[in-house]
Amino acid sequence: MNGNSGNNGNLERRYRRVMRLLPGYYREQWEEDMITAFLDGWLTGDPETDEYITTEAWPGWAEVTSVIGLAARLYLGGAGTPRRYFAWGQAVRRAVLAAVLVHAVLGLGVLVQTAWNRRLFGLPPPPAILWAASPGGVWFTVFYVVNAVWIMIFLALVLGHYRTARILAVLAVVPGLVASVQAQLTGSMPAPFASWAFWVPLTLVPVLALAAFHRDSPPAARWPWLLALPPGYVLVYGTLLALQATGNVAWVPDFPGQCCLLVALACLAHAPRAWSRRAAGSGAWSLALALLAAVTAVYRIASLTAYPNDPHLIAVGLAELLILGTAVTLVAPDAARAQAATPSPPPAPHPIAA
Amino acid sequence: MTGQAFFVLTALADGPRHGYGIVGEVAELSQGRVKLKIGGLYGVLDRLAAEGLIEPDREEAHDGRLRRYYRLTRDGRAALAEEAELRAATARVVRVRLGLAGAEAAG
Repeated sequence: MNGNSGNNGNLERRYRRVMRLLPGYYREQWEEDMITAFLDGWLTGDPETDEYITTEAWPGWAEVTSVIGLAARLYLGGAGTPRRYFAWGQAVRRAVLAAVLVHAVLGLGVLVQTAWNRRLFGLPPPPAILWAASPGGVWFTVFYVVNAVWIMIFLALVLGHYRTARILAVLAVVPGLVASVQAQLTGSMPAPFASWAFWVPLTLVPVLALAAFHRDSPPAARWPWLLALPPGYVLVYGTLLALQATGNVAWVPDFPGQCCLLVALACLAHAPRAWSRRAAGSGAWSLALALLAAVTAVYRIASLTAYPNDPHLIAVGLAELLILGTAVTLVAPDAARAQAATPSPPPAPHPIAA
Repeated sequence: MTGQAFFVLTALADGPRHGYGIVGEVAELSQGRVKLKIGGLYGVLDRLAAEGLIEPDREEAHDGRLRRYYRLTRDGRAALAEEAELRAATARVVRVRLGLAGAEAAG
């Protein structure tokens, strides 16, 4: 439908402003129809009442939320969306899976450490480097539940149970939020932003980005992701053990530093594929790594506020950022190509019958 | 097929309807349980159109605006019939398991 001769004043203008959240190709196809349907829901046919409504009324929150939901589905596209939005959708889905994998590896680490501490493996107590800082009091149980929940979220996402993952994500997000607020109020954290620096980029952002997993999104490559969990655990905790066994534990960076190095390693590993013209479809991975690098950089910078009086640790943190920045430039051109790809038209409704 | 898609296809089963007409019909069919917002409605309509289950029928002027009507395609009719049969079969099993089927027959 093209053009609209109706003049419905402020209400129409306000709804059109909300519609700007939708991608251009979608608006071109559906905007006028959506506005007509929206106004049909408001207008009564009585000129005086309609005059008042079109001047004073605003689109309700539920209406705005429904457009936001539609926009998220379209921008983080699945099957049938233009290539550019599909690339963004795939990139966000992979970045979320990678972030949740990190949480799952940490969760697995906590569970293994607990079992090890209780001598379930028949081994001597675990080395100190594997001890996770476990809180006391009521948070003790919550801490273990949250770690186990992240493993379940990871499995739910990989197996395609997106709704389950979203419900579980609430369990994973809320305790961290409450703990951070409590720490903020009681001042028991060593630095005021330390907890938020972790919670916002590494917990809240991936959970919000779960919006990229919807009915149209293609399923994740199940086996590669599932099989990534044990090697991920070995990579993180095996490296820590090896460094301790060889007396090089002082080289272990803090957790934000480890994240920077992990993402940098992933960029290096992906670089040959990103530079190969024959590697079709590598762009979504490059974009995913760029997104992960951005979130990790935010985390690293925010966590540096914990060391305001330690120039050495700040210098180390900046070096980690430099390594991360250098590594991500290797995949950045491929990432740019992926998101700038010429949009292909989405499946369109059949032409209107005469 | 999601519940919303099922209701939208059902709303179009007896003839073409425009966007807000579908919203009203779905509310009535669901006895007020499903209240589609416009973003949600068009999220369903664009999917059904992409799957070839509905198609635009005609456009009509109304108060200076154009209303686009949608209709079921042949595939849409078949998909709806199949889904209705599936849901009816499930409902029959539920009624038997709850002991309602016998009571209904006796009543």
